[in-house]
Amino acid sequence: MMRFSGVCSAIVLVVFSTLAQAEQAGWALFDKVQSAVKQYNFDTSFVVLKGTNVDTYRWLHGRADGQEIEHLIPLDTSGVDILRRDALVYYLLTDRPAFVTRSHSIPELPALFFEPKENIQRLYNAVAGSSSVMSGRSAQLLRLTAKDASRYNYWLWLDDETGFPLRIDILSEQQNALERWLVTHMQISAEMPENLRSLMEAELPAPGDSVPRSAVASSHQLTWLPQGYTQVEEPANIPQLESSLLSYWLLSDGLHQVSVFVQQAQRLPTQAYRDGATTIYVQNANQLEVTVIGPVSIETARQLAAGVH
Amino acid sequence: MSSEHQDWLSAASDNKPLTKAQLDSLLTDTELQSTLERYHLIGATIRRETSGPLPVDFTAAIMAEIDAEPAYQLKTDRGLLQRVKASVAAAANGRWLQPVAQGAIAAGVALMAVFGVQQYQQQPEDMLSPQPLLQTQPIAGFATPVSLSQTTVSDRFAEQEQQAMLEQQKRLQALLNAHRQQVRVMEQAQQANHKAEANTGPEQNEQQ
Repeated sequence: MMRFSGVCSAIVLVVFSTLAQAEQAGWALFDKVQSAVKQYNFDTSFVVLKGTNVDTYRWLHGRADGQEIEHLIPLDTSGVDILRRDALVYYLLTDRPAFVTRSHSIPELPALFFEPKENIQRLYNAVAGSSSVMSGRSAQLLRLTAKDASRYNYWLWLDDETGFPLRIDILSEQQNALERWLVTHMQISAEMPENLRSLMEAELPAPGDSVPRSAVASSHQLTWLPQGYTQVEEPANIPQLESSLLSYWLLSDGLHQVSVFVQQAQRLPTQAYRDGATTIYVQNANQLEVTVIGPVSIETARQLAAGVH
Repeated sequence: MSSEHQDWLSAASDNKPLTKAQLDSLLTDTELQSTLERYHLIGATIRRETSGPLPVDFTAAIMAEIDAEPAYQLKTDRGLLQRVKASVAAAANGRWLQPVAQGAIAAGVALMAVFGVQQYQQQPEDMLSPQPLLQTQPIAGFATPVSLSQTTVSDRFAEQEQQAMLEQQKRLQALLNAHRQQVRVMEQAQQANHKAEANTGPEQNEQQ
């Protein structure tokens, strides 16, 4: 009997230590990805696939003399050029003056690359998967599985050699791919790309004053939050919606953001929409229209909307 | 000695049986053989037979005759294919081919099944392609409704309904833009907070 229990505990130990090792290997890969996108000089193109919709971007990054520069250019949409120099992000518009924010990353890029690892470790388990060939390169799969089942999962493929991300799939809880981020071209160089060098020198507008915070006391209450989410205190004003907006909350789990808008009821029915991994849920009840926007499942959005009183 | 020989040889020519020793000596001694042949000839003459007995060296004569025979080259008058066809046709009716043919068909089906399954198993990869359940073709750069509930649209109000729908989409687009703006600004707010706390170098760089 003693021997049997000894064997059992040995097996349990072995299983646990292998699991722990797999987890460690996963996070080591994750570190590799985060450092690759921050440290290398690169010139890449990527596409974002949302159902039948495809957006193409060019993404350049350079680091020299302690300074960092990053340029994101939409190739097939009439979007804005986004440029980041160290901690300032410039939205360069053609017909209006540039919009400047302070951030150490471009929010339009996958937040997974830039969020501190501790934030992501709170929400996800990382497990290294199998290797495969992608775009002629050997790619290693890294699965980020949500600890809370309602959160979307990430499958990340990274280049074996450099650790550069090659593809990210955002999967629903049913393991359906909702959105895919895919690198189509990648060039890592020792020197900073030439056009970034000139942008490094370019004269750019100074950041404006800090964004006005909404002082409006909301007349409603949000009684339910999804697991891991907290309310962002004092979200910025939304001038263009000032007239119609009754209440507004911005929720964040460190990696994803969800907006909850409350407006006067329209005569339209309760509906759900999806733009890639972003769910847009509109609920009409009690003379109120509650709109939930964010990368959450429709069920979570429904619960959030139901939590507004 | 010789008369003794002649006695059993003469008897042999009259179809009397030979002992084993006598047969052995006859086979080895050519003189005895020619004597026997002579006795046979005498006997044949006495019995007035027209043909003589078989000569001792008849094999040599036959060999010579075969050599003298002209050589004929045998040619196939049918092509290889015809021969194969004919042999297959013959074999198909044979008892052994039918089970073999059945086996071959079974093997073919099994092979198809194996390859078919492999093809089928490759499909989960395709299922990863972004075809979410609720994804629909966006109209005017925005997603269209996916869960129409509660209302049924009568034709009479279709146009108004469509108008309202467009308005709704416009409103939702505005909300989506507001959400994106909030995400941008929130990062800024967080960074600003971090910087206020840590007062790190990059900000000072920017301020120069």
